[in-house]
Amino acid sequence: MFSIYKKELQSFFFTPFAYALTALFMFLFTYMFNSGIGNMDSSTYSFSFPEIFYNVIFYFIFLVPIMTMRTFADERKFGTETLLMSSPVNVFQIVMGKFLANMTMFLFMILGSAVFPIVTALNGQVVVGQLICAYIGFFCWGAMYISLGMLISSFTENSIISAIIGELVMFAFLFVDDFSQTAFIAQFPKLQSVLYAFASQPRFIYFSQGFIRLSDIVYFVSAIVVCLAWNYISIEKRRWNRG
Amino acid sequence: MVKIENLTKYYGKNRAVNNISFTIEDNEILGFLGPNGAGKSTTMNMIAGCLPMTSGSISIFGSDIAKEPVKAKKNIGYLPEIPPVYPDMRVNEYLSFCAGLKRVPATKRSKEIKRVTELLGLTEVRTKLIKNLSKGYKQRVGFAQALIGNPKFLILDEPTVGLDPNQLAEVRSIIKDLKSQHSVIFSSHILSEVSAVCDRVVIINKGNIKAVDTIDNLEKSLGGNPIINIRVKGPKAKSASVIELTEGVKEISKIEAEGGESFLFSVQTDGDADDVRTKIMSELIKNGIQITEIFTEKPDLEKVFMAMLNKEDKKSGLEQLLEETPEVSEISEEEETEKEETGKEEGDK
Repeated sequence: MFSIYKKELQSFFFTPFAYALTALFMFLFTYMFNSGIGNMDSSTYSFSFPEIFYNVIFYFIFLVPIMTMRTFADERKFGTETLLMSSPVNVFQIVMGKFLANMTMFLFMILGSAVFPIVTALNGQVVVGQLICAYIGFFCWGAMYISLGMLISSFTENSIISAIIGELVMFAFLFVDDFSQTAFIAQFPKLQSVLYAFASQPRFIYFSQGFIRLSDIVYFVSAIVVCLAWNYISIEKRRWNRG
Repeated sequence: MVKIENLTKYYGKNRAVNNISFTIEDNEILGFLGPNGAGKSTTMNMIAGCLPMTSGSISIFGSDIAKEPVKAKKNIGYLPEIPPVYPDMRVNEYLSFCAGLKRVPATKRSKEIKRVTELLGLTEVRTKLIKNLSKGYKQRVGFAQALIGNPKFLILDEPTVGLDPNQLAEVRSIIKDLKSQHSVIFSSHILSEVSAVCDRVVIINKGNIKAVDTIDNLEKSLGGNPIINIRVKGPKAKSASVIELTEGVKEISKIEAEGGESFLFSVQTDGDADDVRTKIMSELIKNGIQITEIFTEKPDLEKVFMAMLNKEDKKSGLEQLLEETPEVSEISEEEETEKEETGKEEGDK
């Protein structure tokens, strides 16, 4: 598992990939940060980091699939899947190795974003507790999207298609909350509650307000476990269906 | 020892491999021969544990690949048809990744990588990106990957494709050297290669095993006696009748006119070839026919191979046999002149 993890990290950090993606992320974060300052409340001179995070998550829909699109699609494309399959590792280790590598890449990205609160703290005040909670929520949401992106990558051989489908699915996940509150869905309370259960947005809002609730953690962790387990099944299934 | 028993693979309703069984002994190179689409790669993928089988079992040094995959795979080095290399990695990075995958202890890795790079002549390209390497080098990197960790059992799926003649000879000699420590299953459709390298061959077509035997035995069992070629100067009809009536001659398989009164007869024999040759010579001389050249030719593996593949179709009547005979000899003629090319073409057929 460790060697797969290491190899994935190499493919991120020994190429311009990790740096280009982080630069893009930082650029978007800067943009949100500046517009946050621009929209500052003139009476209290305050702006909210969680709000910036929330806006950044919208960009995640585009960034995370780019990060995860190659995870399994390229293994299939280059025929290196046979190498992994004929080596003394099992599919669980392969999935976990890749997931951890993607998470490390993600951590590298959000570590970059820490520069903004630091700059703010130097020139003003930051509510540290709330910020940390928001970061935890941000991290959980990212981890969920990564596992989702990896799952979609295991469905196809073409990394571009995997990125596009990933974007669509993540978009749906982001807006399922708004969708469930439309008048049309509100006619069917049961459907509404089912859809609402899938929404990550309200979960994140609790984090951003400084609450760490067990139910929210369970929500994100179970979403990750489901995606990774499905990922495992999808790879095993492909071995049986191939040809 | 690697044991394959009653292996069957269905792709949907399509049967790719049908109930095949064979074993690979310790320190043996087994050739795996068949035209394209015969089920070679499918079988090899199953042996390597990449593809699950529909039924049957594969045991690799005592561990079943389906039941104890990790234990069984520790003994496997697999080079698939397309070398499984990551284009964005450097050769030594890639090999160190493979060493990790194959559970080579961290302290021994650099030594192991050095060993395989030297063995396959990759020392010069060690720091290059794999995507910048030529096909032959990529193939060798893939081969190095299979050798890393010194697994006891090697599965090589067409390891010599894309190599230049120099490299070809090199890789063949490497494979031969591997015999002292490894069991090898080696697939190819270049027949001369199989006969040069392998101890035994398995011939497979359309998912069925056609033969499992040593090369010598296969040659013997299929019209096994050597063919005597006689170039004579003299009347065709007379020479033919003299040769045919000689004791020990089975038939004249081919007569080639070479201009003037010169003819080349290919004669199939019954019994000891040396004896028959002497007899033919003395008979011809007795009848006043001039012999300009005489030589014997061993039936080679290509003929055996073709015959094996055609075996199924031959079960009908005598007519079809007669129709087919010239075809076979035509092919053998081509092979003589363009051995390398025909090897590939035959695979395609």
